[in-house]
This record gives sequence, C-alpha cells and structure tokens, in this order.
Amino acid sequence: MIVKDYMTKHPVMIDPAMSIVEAQSIMAETKTRHLPVVGEGKRLVGLITHETLRIPPNILTSLDVWEITRFLSNLTVKDVMVKCKDIITIGPDITIEEAARIMVEHKIGCLPVLNEEIVVGIITDTDLMAHLVEMLAAPEPSVRVTMRMSLATGELARLVAAISAQGWGIWALGGIYSPKDPNSWEAVFKISDAPREQVIAALSKIEGQKIIDVREVAG
Amino acid sequence: MTNVQRDQAPILKVENVAISYETRYGDVEAVRRVSFEVGHATTFGLVGESGCGKSTVAFGIVDFLGPNGKITGGSIKFQGRELVGRTENELRRLRGDQIAMVYQDPMQALNPSLTISDQLNEVLTVHRNISEAEAWKKSVAMLERVYMPDCSNVMSRYPHQISGGQQQRVVIAMALLTNPALLIMDEPTTALDVTVEAVVLDLIEDLKRDFDTAIVYITHDLGVVARVCNEVGVMYAGEMVESGPVEAIFADPKHPYTQGLMRCVPKLGSTKESSRLYPIRGRVPAPKDRPKGACIFAPRCDYVTDRCHNELPVMEEASSEHRVRCFHHKEIDVAAWKPSEDLVFDLPAVEEKESQEPILEVKDLRTYYTQESKSVWSLVGLGQKRYVKAVDGVSLEVPAGKTLGIVGESGCGKSTLAKTIVGLEASTAGKAEFLGFDITVPVSARDIKLIQELQMVFQNPDSTMNPSYSIGQQIGRPLQRFKTVPANQVREEVIRLLHAVRLDESYYDRLPRQLSGGEKQRVGIARAFASRPELVLCDEPVSALDVSVQAAVLNLLLEIQHEFHTTLLFIAHDLSVVRFFSDYVAVMYLGHVVEFGPAEAIYAPPYHPYTEALLSAVPIPDPTAEQKHIRLEGSVPSALKPPSGCVFHTRCPRRTLLADGGLICETEVPPWRYNTEQHRIYCHIPLEVSRQMEPVVTAG
Amino acid sequence: MAESEQSNPVSTHPSRWKRIGSRFSILFASKTAMIGLFIVLFWVLAAIFAPLLTPYSPTEQDYKARNSPPSAAHILGTDDLGRDLWARLIYGARVVLVMLPINDHLWLPIGTAIWGVLLGLIVGATLGLMSGYMRGWKDEVVMRGLDAMMAFPVILLYMIIIAAVGSSATNVVLAIAIVGVPGIARLVRSLALDIRTRDYIRAAELRGENPWYIMFVEILPNARGPIIIDAMLRVGYAIFAMGTLGFLGLGLPPPSADWGSMVAVGRRFILAGSPWAAIWPSLAIASLVVGLNLLADGLREETMRYQ
Repeated sequence: MIVKDYMTKHPVMIDPAMSIVEAQSIMAETKTRHLPVVGEGKRLVGLITHETLRIPPNILTSLDVWEITRFLSNLTVKDVMVKCKDIITIGPDITIEEAARIMVEHKIGCLPVLNEEIVVGIITDTDLMAHLVEMLAAPEPSVRVTMRMSLATGELARLVAAISAQGWGIWALGGIYSPKDPNSWEAVFKISDAPREQVIAALSKIEGQKIIDVREVAG
Repeated sequence: MTNVQRDQAPILKVENVAISYETRYGDVEAVRRVSFEVGHATTFGLVGESGCGKSTVAFGIVDFLGPNGKITGGSIKFQGRELVGRTENELRRLRGDQIAMVYQDPMQALNPSLTISDQLNEVLTVHRNISEAEAWKKSVAMLERVYMPDCSNVMSRYPHQISGGQQQRVVIAMALLTNPALLIMDEPTTALDVTVEAVVLDLIEDLKRDFDTAIVYITHDLGVVARVCNEVGVMYAGEMVESGPVEAIFADPKHPYTQGLMRCVPKLGSTKESSRLYPIRGRVPAPKDRPKGACIFAPRCDYVTDRCHNELPVMEEASSEHRVRCFHHKEIDVAAWKPSEDLVFDLPAVEEKESQEPILEVKDLRTYYTQESKSVWSLVGLGQKRYVKAVDGVSLEVPAGKTLGIVGESGCGKSTLAKTIVGLEASTAGKAEFLGFDITVPVSARDIKLIQELQMVFQNPDSTMNPSYSIGQQIGRPLQRFKTVPANQVREEVIRLLHAVRLDESYYDRLPRQLSGGEKQRVGIARAFASRPELVLCDEPVSALDVSVQAAVLNLLLEIQHEFHTTLLFIAHDLSVVRFFSDYVAVMYLGHVVEFGPAEAIYAPPYHPYTEALLSAVPIPDPTAEQKHIRLEGSVPSALKPPSGCVFHTRCPRRTLLADGGLICETEVPPWRYNTEQHRIYCHIPLEVSRQMEPVVTAG
Repeated sequence: MAESEQSNPVSTHPSRWKRIGSRFSILFASKTAMIGLFIVLFWVLAAIFAPLLTPYSPTEQDYKARNSPPSAAHILGTDDLGRDLWARLIYGARVVLVMLPINDHLWLPIGTAIWGVLLGLIVGATLGLMSGYMRGWKDEVVMRGLDAMMAFPVILLYMIIIAAVGSSATNVVLAIAIVGVPGIARLVRSLALDIRTRDYIRAAELRGENPWYIMFVEILPNARGPIIIDAMLRVGYAIFAMGTLGFLGLGLPPPSADWGSMVAVGRRFILAGSPWAAIWPSLAIASLVVGLNLLADGLREETMRYQ
C-alpha cells in the first residue's frame, strides 16, 4: 500500500493569479477542500484549503463594509495561499501508514505528492479513511471477531491454524496493540463461511486467546 | 477499485452544448443538446457515424473549431472551470498541459522535418522548463512505456522512417508526457491495420491503468468501443441519443438507432445466418434539414408515432446511469424485432455441383514490380534488378456463381492480385485462366468480349465516378461500348439498373457531387454490372462507408449477384466483413495465400497461425465475448526481400509447436496441408496439431 | 474516412437555365471577378458596336488636326496622321478581341489574341494529355522538346517565327499559339498526372477504351477549371505579345489599328509634346490585361473558398 497507488492522480490545480472567489467556486463545483497552487509545468508553489480562505479577523475589523467587498474581490490566490516552504509534501513511494503518521503529527488534512517538485497527485485524510474502510472490508456478510492474545511469537499462527482447520477463510485481517492492556495484542478479522455460533464455538477453544468482540456485519 | 463510494467530481463535464458552423448559406448547427461526464480513470466512448458531430464535440472541448466554428450554447467544465467563453490565452493557460489530444492520422501530429527526439523533448522543455538531458531521459522512458522496440534508435529517426503503428505510439507517448488529466483520442486506430490496431488498443488499456487519465475516445467502430471503453455515448445527427455503461449499452440498447447499429455491425458469428447484416433504412439528414422540434431519428425509426414528429424527446433514465432520448424506450422489445419485407431475402442455397469447372483459375501467379536501382551500373543496364514481389505465387480456383473473399492487411498483395486478374497490371509469371481464356496479359491486349465479362467495383466512392458527367451517362457508357442493348434502349436499361441498386429514376440526371458516399458506391455497382459480366471484382467497396451504409451496400451486392448469377471476388482487410456472404475465403500475407477454403472452415480451427492472429485481433462488438489474445510482433517484412522459407516465419507465434523452435520454417517453403478437399493451409505444422487449437472467439 | 449518407436534394430535371445560372452564380459571388468582367465586357462590347460608337473610321485621315490633344471633335485626340484615336482604339479592340482579318476581304469571328490562345490550347492540351497520361518515352520526348522551346526568351521566339513566315494576322496567331504551347502543355500534363490516378480512369481502362478517348473524354473535362483560368491569363499575355510585336514592327501590317502598332507609331511623338497617341493604347492594353487577371483571380478565389 504505497501512496502512489492510492492517491488521487489528477487533482484539481489552480494558478496563483486566480481570484479567491473563483477558487471558492471551483472548490464547490469539484467538491474538494484542498487545491494545490501550481506554476509552470505543474510545479507546486502553494496550497489553498477551505480554512485559508477565511480572512483573519484583525484585517477585517479595520475595514468598513464597502472596503471589505472590494478587498475580497481583489484578493488573489497568491495572497492567501500557504507558501510552498510551509507545506508538508511527500513522495509517491512512501507507505500509506507513513503518510497517515505525517498527517496526524502535523495536524493537516492533505498531503500533496510531489515527484521532483512536480505535483503528481494528492492524498487527503478522507482518502486514508476510505482506505481504512477497505482494509477491513469483506466482500460478503460475515462474522467479525476481535481476539486478544499475548505478544509471544506464534500466537497469530495458532489462531490462523485453528481457523484453517475448520476449512474457513479469513478476510480483512488487522492487528493492533490492545488499548486496554499494553501487554496484549488484538487481532481483528472476518469470517464469512460460518454462522456466529459456530465461529464462537471454534475460537473459544483456542488456548490463551480470548474473544473480546463478536458481531455480524454486512461486509 | 474502491468499495467505498467516494463522490469525486468528474474531470470533464459537458452540459447541453451546441456548436455551429458559419457557411455561405448561414449558420449551420452541427451539434446540439449534448451532455456527458467523464470521471477519473474512465474511458468515455463517443460513438457515431460520420457527420454525427462526435469530432466536432471533441474539437469544441479543445477549441480547435476553426475560424468558422463556434460554441453557441451550453457549458464545458474541465475540473470545475468553465471553458466556454474564455479567450484564447486563458484557454491556453487552463488547458496547458492538462488536456492532450491524439489524432487519427499520426502524420498530422508529427512534424516530418524534426526527429522523434526533438518532438518529444519539445513537449517537456516548453511546458516544464527542464533541461534537454532530463527531457531526453524522460522521453526515452516514455517510449519504453509505450512498448516501442529499440527506443534509443527510434529517437534519432524521422517520422517517415518508422511504421504507422510506431508513429501512433509516438503520438500517444507525446500526449502522455505531461501527464494530462484528460486525453482526447479521435479515432486513433482507424488508419492502422487490424493486427497493429490490436496492439495499440492493448497499449491504451495498459496505460489507462498506470496513468489514471480520463479519456474521451471517439470512434465509429463498435468493436473498439466494446474493448476499450467503460461508458459510451451514442451520437446521431448532432445529438446524443443514448448514454450509459458499456455493458448496458451492448446488452440492452434502448434507442432504436443503437439497436439498428448493433444489427449492422459485422460479427464473427459461427454461422452465416447469425452474421447477417440488417441496414437502417433512410439516410442521415443534412445539418440544415434537421427538425428543431421533433425526434431527430423519427424518419428512420421502426417504432415511430405521431408524438415523435411533433415533440422533442429529452434524455430519460432507463436505469441508473443508462439514459436514452426516446419516448417509447420502455415499450420497445429488441428481441421481437423483425426485419421489414425489403430487407429479407433468402440466402442462395448451397448448390452441390461438385463437378463444376471453376470460372477463374489462377496457378502460381506472380506480379513483380521492378524497383529502379540507384546505382550507376543500372544506367548501363548492368545493375542488379530488384523486385517488389507483390504477388508471389498465388493459386486459387473460384467456382462459377460463388463469392470468394480475399482478406489480408496492407502490403499483402490483394490489390495487386485484383489488378492483375483484371488486367490493370501486367503479370510476371504464372498462369491465369478465366472462362477458358488466358488472362495473364494486360487489359489492352485482351479481346473486348473478354473485357466485358470481367468488371470491377472500386474502393473510394469519391473517385469512382467522373465528376463531369451525369449518372445516367456513366452507367450508359458500358452499355454503349459493349453493345449490350441496342442504342435506343440504353436509357431504359440504365433506369432498370438504377432500380436494381435501389435508386430511383431521378438519379439519371444528377451529377456525382450531388450524391452521398453510399449512393455513389451503388452507382459504381450498377456500372460494373451493366454489361452483365461473369465475374465482378470488388476492391474493398465498403471500407470507406459508414457502418449502416456498409450493411445496405453489402446486402445489395448479394442480391445483385443472386439476380445476375455473377461470380464475385471480394477483397477486404477485415475478416468480419467477409464472413457474411463469402462462400470461400482466401487469406493473404506478403504475396502468398496462406489459407484457402469454404468460409465456415476458415473461422473454425484448424487455422493458419496468421489467420488465427487476424481473428484474435478483430475488435468484437460484444464486451462479454471471449477472444484469444494473440499478438504478432514486429512488422510486415518488406516485399523487396521477403523472408526465406515460409514468409510468415519472422512473426509466427506458433513456431514453437515445431521441433527446433521451427527451424524448418526458415529454410523450407511450407507444403499445402489439406484439411478437407476444399480447405487447405500453407504451413509446416501438421494437421493433427492444428486441429487441436481452440476456436479464437467464443460468444459471451 | 467514412462517407455519410447525406445528399443535396435537387429537383429531377433542373432546367437548362438553372444549370447555367448556377455556374454563373460563382462569378457573381466574387467582387473581383465582377470588376474584371465589367472591364472585359466593356471592351468586347465597344469592339462589337464600334461603328455605332464613333462617327470616324479608323483610317480616315484629317490633315488639319494632326497630333491634337483631346477635344470636342476628337474625344481622345488624333495621331500623327490625323486619325481619331478613340476610333482607332475601338477598331483595334476589334482586331484583338472580336475578329481575325485573314486578308483584305476575309475575316473570321473571334479576335486575334483569342485565336492565338485557342490554337495554343488545342495543341498544348493534346501534348500535355499525351504526356501526362501515356507517360513513358512519349512523355520524355515531348517534355524535353518543350523545355528546349521554353529556354528561348519569348521575344526572340516571336521574332524568329514572324521573321520566318512574315507578318500577317494569321502568322501572329500562329506565333502566339507556338509560344503558348509549352506553358499550357505543362499545366495540362500536371493536371493529367493527377487525374489519371482516379478510379474512374481505371474503370474506363477496364472497359477497354482507347487512350485518346480516355484523354479527351474522361480526363480533359475535369481539368477545365484551371485550364480556363490559365487561358484567360494567356489572352492577356497574347495582347501584350501583339503589342510587343507591333512595337517591334513585326505585328499586323499597317494601317492595322491594333494597339501595339499604335504605341509603336505614337511613341515617336511623346517627347514632342503629344503623348496621346501612345498613352491611350497603352492604357487600353493595361486595362484589358488587368481586367482579365481580375476575372481569373476572382474565379479562382470563389472556387477555392469553401473547399
């Protein structure tokens, strides 16, 4: 799961000379919240988000109504964009998790993806959330199980062996440190070949592992 | 593929666009009320026949309408920004490197006086301000992406030094260099041979996956649409009549025009009956005759009602995403359609006259063109003569009253063969007999009685008629020359011939420029059949015509052949076209016939490897059909130096079936292998092996 | 490229007038062509109705009014023998455009210049068709021969021909024709080379038509557009030629009123203060040539406009 396979490859891009009114209408029309600002040859020069389009209040208070309108209509994208040096960008070959980590750390909603200064795509928090959904999705209605186990090697293998011994398949396998207990690990997975009771019956028999949550899901 | 529904705005949104041209007679509306959307990574096919406005729409998007074209209404939004109404400079900035276009004729896009590398580099250095060295590296990388053989060598060549398929690859590479968000392709494979087209289509599909570009693909070929497109918009006479996902359109066409088109498209059916063609009656209205307040298809529709003549239909939803512009689409049942009286005729029954003498017999016919040598010795006559071996040992027999289809790609020699048989070219060696007469001599040396019996229908409808004389005069000329009827009955006979080709008497006085392409071809047929010849040679008579017109002309040929008991020799470059009415088929490659036999035998295994490759290259107008994926590598060798042994050995995908990887193919000329008495294959591969091949096409 | 099924609906039997009218409509659509036509027609009509337009005869000499400037009696003045210039001008137009004097008692309709061009057309077109259609050694021989002819400066060629056969109207016609043949042959050859590739020529060959039929019946009518336009320009050149010949004294014998001779004779009196005898015929020549050029240009423009 590399960024270049999951990013939006042809993001809507605008040039610095555009007025912000037009930029707003483009955002509305294309339903995007982030617009990379590019110069010659798709080189990144800045970034506009729906937040940067808000004018800082200290400027506004000093103007009266008519001046505000004129001020707003004369504003170009160049005046309000986040400058290139302040934008965090990534390359197309980094992993999805890395991109997500960067977004969380810097509290930003989108990352332009650059290849030698040229914008080749953009990846947003919504994209990552969509992929999270896909990572844990199954193609048909299934039973979703959360199993807690110790951190020892071989625990996951035993779980998988137990499931395969039943002749079932595993979908959407994910794992995470248990939020309640730092010494345990939780595996989340979906089984679509058997009904809930059978799954519970089979998995309860695994030693040293505990079913934390079982539910039926649509997919 | 995402399961999650993410609402992404379309890259291109065309809404209610109308485009007009200024002419001497006022403004003419070429396109109106066209709306469609193209999303990320979607290929949208714009399908229609000539004159429907599909290219006009594309040119409108990129503002190439020419000095007398203008967008008179509607909006075109590219990534949210309106393109209509902008000045040229604004448009140039907006489009910049985001929209690219690929044309039908690669020579239109390539500058013949610059090398390939100059042209590719120029795209990058102009748009991106990068250095020449960088640009070179990127260009070579792109050429590799488009599977160009021998990239660095090609970079230093000029466009005329590479083949048509390679030129088109260069053009596609140029278009993709700036990684555009939208790519418009205007019939990019129409000018290419079938096997080359197949490779370029494969390439396009490949690139779609990697580049995620939105593509507007314009074509008249439904087979290509089925192969390449995700969504389709069908255009007729300047309006979009139906749009939707490709599977829906092919499986369940809702608009009568689309249904009619599906019936006219040649298919690789398994039987003659299932590959029948039914034309659409009537003709496309000229732009100035299009009604403003009625359904544009009403005059030709089988399901027309009064409402259709008085009210303008709007696009309605037939199902989600499948829209159609018709009042009655819910009531129309495609399966219940029956051809009208005049379209039905019985295919002539196969007469089992085994002991029939063939009317035309050709044995080892050769036609070589001498190539002028450039050396000094040749001036004195001592130079070595080089020959272009256009026809290099062709043998075939045609029984009387039957149709022989000759199929092959460009350079295979089929046109030269036709011209040699008919006498427009002089043969170099071999025997050819027609009605017992020797026809190895050119037409100027033939008896007029013989000439009368051997006539031809030509390919290009525009040049088949003399523009200075009326139709009646031109059909009458062979009658006068061959004295088929007494002088005072000539006019009557001409009118009878006009009726035979479904044209009425009023055409007698018209001039060729007043006729459409299909009508001119019919007149050409009437002229060829005027002297009641025994054999008529048709040199790709329908290649230059629209699909629906093709069907009508092909049916006409069949009928006339049946009525006049003529033998037909039909030359085509496409196996699906000859399927319908050939009794026998010969497949040619580089001057040789590689397979010959009754039509059903050719389309079923065993195949000659080249026939197999041809069949697997033809785009099938059915997205669910299974077709083998056999592609030929390299290009057709030059006829000046044909390969030794079997001429196909340089590209044959089946060589590996033989011992030593097919060494024998290089050294020895292959034998004729007789599958049945009438079906023969020119190949080293033994029949037991060939018979085990699977059929190329299995219907979905 | 696929052909669409669109045809221009036309009534079944367009009347002859309608057909002729539609041919001329091209003419009327071009302003340039109309101006040219106007000028040409002016001279043609002046030539035809010459006796009605002037009380004088072109040879009538009035010794009392020699070399006089334009006046009430003589609209354009007189030349050195007292002949009225306007009368000589329009009678001169006759010789050039309307009638060919074979000898003192016999004349043919259609003027000298036009005969010259017609004759050149006939010979040149035949040679050009032969060369362009039949190719081979016939092509080579004809073309090299014409190349040789074209290598001569035109004036020299004229002088040689007239010196050889003497100066009379028919010989002027011959000279104009001979000089025009190479250019016409080249033009027709290039048109034939293009047209012979068409399928309808193949169809004719397939009917076993003999080459002369194909050349004159199939090819020539389709080449008429450029040929006609070229011919009109050549009438202009022919008039120049007659002028030059007249100027050199090799043209029609005196007292012929052809414009060239008028200029030749009148030239001597320019510096003496009466340029009229030289100016009017020069202007006449210039205007006719310009008119023909405009006509040809306008036609060419119109036929190419909506290609």
